[in-house]
Amino acid sequence: MIEIPEKPSTKIPPSTHEFADVIHRLEAGGSMLPDTPENLMQIIGIYKAYAVPMDFYWRDLLYIAEQVFLNPFPFFKYFISPEYLDRHNHYAGDDADLRIWRGEATAHPELLAFIERGETSKMPKLFHHLFHDRINMEFAEACMRAMLWHRNMYAPVNKFDAYLDSEEYKANADKAIKAYFQGNPAMLGMYKLFPDMFLEQVRQLSYYSNLGLFWEVMAPVFFEMSDIYDEGGFPGVPDAMNFLVNGIFAIAGRPIYHHVYIRGECYEIIPKSKGFTWLYEAALPYVEAIFYRTAPFRGTKSYNAQAQQVPEDQKDFHYGILYADVFPVGTAGIPPTLLMQDMLHFLPQYLVDYYQQYCRREDDMLIQLGISFQRSMYNVTSAVIQALRTALLYPLDDPNPKHLQANREFFEAQLNRFSRPEYGINKAARLRDIQRPDYR
Amino acid sequence: MADIVDIAVGAGSFNTLVQAVQAADLVETLKSPGPFTVFAPNDEAFAKLPPGTIQTLVQNIPQLTRILTYHVVPGKLVQSDLAKLGTVTSVEGSAIKIDCSDGFEVKNSTVLAADIEADNGVIHVIDTVILMG
Repeated sequence: MIEIPEKPSTKIPPSTHEFADVIHRLEAGGSMLPDTPENLMQIIGIYKAYAVPMDFYWRDLLYIAEQVFLNPFPFFKYFISPEYLDRHNHYAGDDADLRIWRGEATAHPELLAFIERGETSKMPKLFHHLFHDRINMEFAEACMRAMLWHRNMYAPVNKFDAYLDSEEYKANADKAIKAYFQGNPAMLGMYKLFPDMFLEQVRQLSYYSNLGLFWEVMAPVFFEMSDIYDEGGFPGVPDAMNFLVNGIFAIAGRPIYHHVYIRGECYEIIPKSKGFTWLYEAALPYVEAIFYRTAPFRGTKSYNAQAQQVPEDQKDFHYGILYADVFPVGTAGIPPTLLMQDMLHFLPQYLVDYYQQYCRREDDMLIQLGISFQRSMYNVTSAVIQALRTALLYPLDDPNPKHLQANREFFEAQLNRFSRPEYGINKAARLRDIQRPDYR
Repeated sequence: MADIVDIAVGAGSFNTLVQAVQAADLVETLKSPGPFTVFAPNDEAFAKLPPGTIQTLVQNIPQLTRILTYHVVPGKLVQSDLAKLGTVTSVEGSAIKIDCSDGFEVKNSTVLAADIEADNGVIHVIDTVILMG
């Protein structure tokens, strides 16, 4: 008698997608990033190196949104006040709303040490700034501006942008603008002449607040992941991804708002009572605007209208980290260089040792860590995809084949974003590259 | 007959939902004449959410309210009405897809008990908390 082989574990026929391997891995509960110890080490090390500057980014973004506000000459906007360095992160420390990181709620000690000494030595903040021995806050602002410019991401579920155009928002902003320039007839006169100019600035500041509140969550998540890894807690890449998925759900309902403090009084430009949430009004728009879209790098694309290199429609923008060519990092016109330089200061020793073994060792560490960063962001995007699948579709072990097919179509639709031929999107996508360990 | 809230309290399998509705101060609304169609996730549905999700929502009432009002549709719509409509708009403002081609599914949830009549509307019990998007 011939033994009939056991049926394969997949209840639906295999995918015929160009990235079928990746789709099957996602269906098995995995990440777009292959599960190897080397990948795990790279992504966790990068989460740690990213979280320290991010701890500065979120604090300074909120400082600008809430305190600097409409200062027409914000020369010192990166000179964050001590209160904002001591400000308690809502998701770390003993008094956390929901404790994600077991560490302290105030600024990370490595960040404080860097602010004090930088790469040089102890000297007044102003000199550190002028010698460019500092955190590249311009990168955070570039992300904020990309979100502002790609407004309406994930609308209509994202109600943040629609609110920025509402009469209610304009009235709230008007109160704050008048209070801020109280006793300043020149600026009040300008406001009377060009009200929209001021209003648009306030909208931008609302995005400072939005991104600051988004990163306030991500920093403790990344710190905790680094600690768990150091304790030997993550067996593989999918476990690291699942930690992110759970984190996304846990914080999904935190409010997104914009409060401004003028002479000690709080003006609620976007009140918490509007019901805006971290997931719908910050995280999902952020992923779309930053991971996928952003804006073409000045150093790799021509903005020449006749050349038609840059898409006409914003939906075709493909300049986020998932598509970025990391090789020219460190050269002119490549904005992520700012972030790579920031992360370089805070690499864990195991990553420094690792980069020393490959390519040009310490000479091209910026590029090597940039590629690890790309891997790590593919893992974060995988977490977002799995979280969306959990929220909107079906469990991976659902017995109903119709449900499994719906999950399959969702995964395929997500990966189609890396296969589109328009403007060479498929050639820019790095999904194929990160499957290979020798992509560095 | 009893209203939507009384039925949920009486059933005993909606403890989390009832607590959430109380926390969000929606009891009065759901006791008003309405009528409403409520997709009511049972306790197992809430238990499927990852840890921390409910805690964050209970700390932030406007955000909790938003999720809860996504489970409510204005008007009294029984299964046969919903089957005809295909998509309905929730009180929250976002759309909910209904699929009656094979059983009775509301978005990614399955209806466990349909057409529970109340004074001020109708309740359909679902096995998953539905989310916007």
